[in-house]
Amino acid sequence: MTGMPIEDGPEKQGCATPFDAWRLVGELEVTLDVDALLGAYPDRDGPPGTSQAVLETLAAHRVRAAAVAHLRAALFDTRTGNDEMLALAACPGIVPVGAVDLRDPIGAARELERLASAGARAVRLFPDEQGVDAAFPSVRHVALRAARLGLVVLTGGDVRRFWQPFTGIEARVVFLDTHFYHLGDFLVAAADEPGFHTSTRLLNSPDALETVAAELGADRLLYGSRAPHYEPLVPLLRLATSGLGPAEIAAVAGGNATRLLAATPRRSAR
Amino acid sequence: MIIDVHAHWGPWFFTMDVAGSTLATMDRYGIDRAIVSATEAVTYDAPAGNRVLAAYLETQDRLLGYVTVNPRRLREAEADLRAYLPGGRFVGVKIHTDYTGSPAGSARLREALTLVAGTGRPALVHTWGASVLDLAEVCLDIPGLRVIAGHMGADGFRHAIEAADACDRLYLEPCWSHAPAGRIAEVVAGVDPARLLFGTDATLIDPASAFGAVAAAGLPRETAERIAWRNATALFRL
Repeated sequence: MTGMPIEDGPEKQGCATPFDAWRLVGELEVTLDVDALLGAYPDRDGPPGTSQAVLETLAAHRVRAAAVAHLRAALFDTRTGNDEMLALAACPGIVPVGAVDLRDPIGAARELERLASAGARAVRLFPDEQGVDAAFPSVRHVALRAARLGLVVLTGGDVRRFWQPFTGIEARVVFLDTHFYHLGDFLVAAADEPGFHTSTRLLNSPDALETVAAELGADRLLYGSRAPHYEPLVPLLRLATSGLGPAEIAAVAGGNATRLLAATPRRSAR
Repeated sequence: MIIDVHAHWGPWFFTMDVAGSTLATMDRYGIDRAIVSATEAVTYDAPAGNRVLAAYLETQDRLLGYVTVNPRRLREAEADLRAYLPGGRFVGVKIHTDYTGSPAGSARLREALTLVAGTGRPALVHTWGASVLDLAEVCLDIPGLRVIAGHMGADGFRHAIEAADACDRLYLEPCWSHAPAGRIAEVVAGVDPARLLFGTDATLIDPASAFGAVAAAGLPRETAERIAWRNATALFRL
């Protein structure tokens, strides 16, 4: 057979394994992760998502602060879930994010008012978990109310569908589930909507981050991990090895999210 | 040393421009060698894609090839296997069940894998969800066949553990664009370490996804080296 020889790599001489991700991550830190969750999903195995465990996961990945929403609010009871979240406002490293239930648009509008008056900067939507389609009147209703209240919306769901309820209302939105398969759709939608942003979590093709930066600007990219239910190391590694410049990387790693939420976290997680 | 057993060469139809970035992508993560299939062969025309890949493989030494087989075109497949496998630059066979409309439990995939078994080379087969269990069943029925369950079932990774337990000629590689917490650690804990491989799906998916997920599992060095290259070296006789 032709080709280069197969032999031990340099890791043999030291204690590292061939998968030494932290060597590639280098000094990169995340100052604000836009996608973290408290609580557990009842329909799947996974971490329990206690506040302590989430903070430990974030700290272990050099994530100094995160915009955190509570699955209790998304899946069971909005008000008590959000209250539990808001009570953590003084907790270093946590930027509380409220949630509303799209299955109850009337109650959702009331909860948006309550969240805004409590000083929340952002609200998170869970359409997939709540079985809500982008075309449902509820989504447009909540989008309009959130925009009027000046709340940033962090939303899950397929960006090819969920872009639509947020158009034409000067909404500031972060699409948390943008997959690189659908990057073209995000790019053409966001070109006309300066308030459209995307999480980096699933933009893990070899050139997705670079394409967003070239087409729209790196200020539209926000590091998102979905800790502790996803591996924070993956988007961290992708960002660290990207072709973005140092200032762009720092912006994606938290500067953009901080600007968007217009409030620097009070204290770091460490 | 890292060997990527699930990689591609050529352009993709999504909003991406990666046709020429195979080696640069490998370099970002210290991936020394990759076994690639031609994207044209996987998504459209297997013989045409195999042909252009064969020419490209002659120009460098870090890539090895999969002969891509479309189970609907077994006569063409037979010709390609005969043409490319003896040369040494192609070391396995790639079958994508979705692009060819040939599910893991289908008769046509079974026929294709029977053909592959006769070559003595491993087959990388796309698996998703519970289809990895069907692949294990087919593999058990075909003497001598060795298969790699591509993506190790993706969201069906627990089925992949069961499949690997059922068939000792079935190997797993982890690539997926999603990285749910603990997926790799759970598979490693449940599967014979001799049957774990490393794959990325580059240049469709950046290696950060599989590399980061494996790194996050915090594996001991011996296990990591098996996954990184030792098992691939044995399986492909490199």
